[in-house]
Amino acid sequence: MIEMIKVSRTYDPNITALSDVSLSIATGEMFFLIGRSGAGKTTLLKLICNMETPSNGLIEVAGYNINKLKGKDLAHLRQKIGVAYQDFKLLSNRTVAENIAIAMEVSYKNPRAIRHRVRDLLGQLQLVDKHNTLTGELSRGEQQRVALARSVANSPRLILVDEPTGNLDAATTERVMELLTRSNKAGATIVIATHDDSIYQQGNHRIMELRDGNIHSLTRGSLK
Amino acid sequence: MNFWFAVFRQTGRNLHQTWTSQLMTFLTVSLSVLIFAFFYLIYTNMLGAGDRLSDDLRLIVYLEDEPGPQMQEQLRRKIQNFDDVEEIHFISKEEAYQRFAKQLGENSDVLQDIPTDFLPASIEVVPLKSLRGYNQIKLFSEYLANLPGTEKVQYGQEWVERFYYFTRLLTIVVLLSGTLLILTATFMVAYTIRLTIMGRQDELELLKLVGATNSYIRAPFLIEGILQGFMGSIIGLSALYGLFQWITAHFTGPGLLTLFQFTFFPPSVILLIIMSSICLCSIGSYTSIRKFLRI
Ligand SMILES: Nc1ncnc2c1ncn2[C@@H]1O[C@H](COP(=O)(O)OP(=O)(O)OP(=O)(O)O)[C@@H](O)[C@H]1O
Ligand SMILES: [Mg+2]
Repeated sequence: MIEMIKVSRTYDPNITALSDVSLSIATGEMFFLIGRSGAGKTTLLKLICNMETPSNGLIEVAGYNINKLKGKDLAHLRQKIGVAYQDFKLLSNRTVAENIAIAMEVSYKNPRAIRHRVRDLLGQLQLVDKHNTLTGELSRGEQQRVALARSVANSPRLILVDEPTGNLDAATTERVMELLTRSNKAGATIVIATHDDSIYQQGNHRIMELRDGNIHSLTRGSLK
Repeated sequence: MNFWFAVFRQTGRNLHQTWTSQLMTFLTVSLSVLIFAFFYLIYTNMLGAGDRLSDDLRLIVYLEDEPGPQMQEQLRRKIQNFDDVEEIHFISKEEAYQRFAKQLGENSDVLQDIPTDFLPASIEVVPLKSLRGYNQIKLFSEYLANLPGTEKVQYGQEWVERFYYFTRLLTIVVLLSGTLLILTATFMVAYTIRLTIMGRQDELELLKLVGATNSYIRAPFLIEGILQGFMGSIIGLSALYGLFQWITAHFTGPGLLTLFQFTFFPPSVILLIIMSSICLCSIGSYTSIRKFLRI
């Protein structure tokens, strides 16, 4: 699903966020990205969804060189990629339901289907009573779940999640991981950037640790 | 669901969110359409009246002497040298006398002691319909006045002159109000759409990130412009029609208006005004989209 070959990203006053990262993630895989703060996890995810362009190297997603895509093709590929941003990127003056619906509206889904899907997701993330609340009035943990719900809403083929459990208690974290696991079982490729070892130690998924923009290690989860 | 449904839903949200500035724009567009159409209506009616007047226009050339048949032929040729004319009538002193007596009707007995040749002979020239415009008529009359044996030329100079200057003034007013229409419609629409775009940068940014196509992002703004142009011109023209009805209802009867035969725009002109209003507003919204919607 994702091929990265010798990808580097530097920011203006010679900050190297990523250097020479080569990586291949298979379709249907659940992949964890760990590392200290500032290691380059978010940068890597932004490169994959073409929010940032690499300074060097090649990135292919679903067979497309994502930096060569433009206009309609890029839009259509992005509809197939769900991203839960570290800073959420919610529209604070819109309701929870509207925020989640946006991801489906851009691919012109039927309004009934959208309403149905929104209720279903809110149920899974214990946010049913927040349906009509403005996201600006939510707690950070709640906002985080809304961002996650939006990323999976359109049933994308690839889901990129940045710190999905940073503000959540253990029980809610469990629910979030259930949701992601379900999407993964349904065929989606998932990349999760996290500090939370309770979530990546649970399975035998591949775990890549970044350190100062370099790949430090590539291991598997200990369970099983 | 299909593209257009999604786009119209998005347009509805835009209108809902920024309805105050939308209303202001809408009123401005209506008002400028009203002002322009008002002057244009007067202008077209003046032109119509002018046409009718110039249908009746004839130049009377008073002659010093009664021309003989050979002289008549010479004069006729001279006149046609300047330009083809519709008609040339020679009116002898006798004929002039008869006409005058007829005009006097019952009072014609006052003429009893007056010799029948006291009125001068004249030529009545009906110029071609193509010979329009004050300057051409004036040139023609000067030419006629310089023909040998003519005394003077009359065609209601003062009236024609005043009418001509009034039409020219109206032309300027129509051009000015037309410019006003173009400026306000395009600028106001561009401005409101700019406001909307600026106020919602983060939403537009997000739409791009979740994979909205450019047309999905752009179309609602374009539709907004088209709606403004359409609604604005409809309301402006309706207001003018109301005004027109009121004027014709209150000022009918003999007088100026019957001469002018005040008429409203034909459907083709109405359609043209609506179309150009839509065009202008779309151009306004399109320039804002180009400038501020970086996608
Ligand atoms: N827009 C930017 N301009 C300049 N430097 C940036 C920018 N974005 C990221 N960086 C730098 O790149 C490096 C990697 O940042 P990144 O956000 O990828 O870290 P991270 O691993 O996601 O950290 P965290 O766990 O805190 O989220 C950091 O040193 C950061 O300061
Ligand atoms: Mg980060």
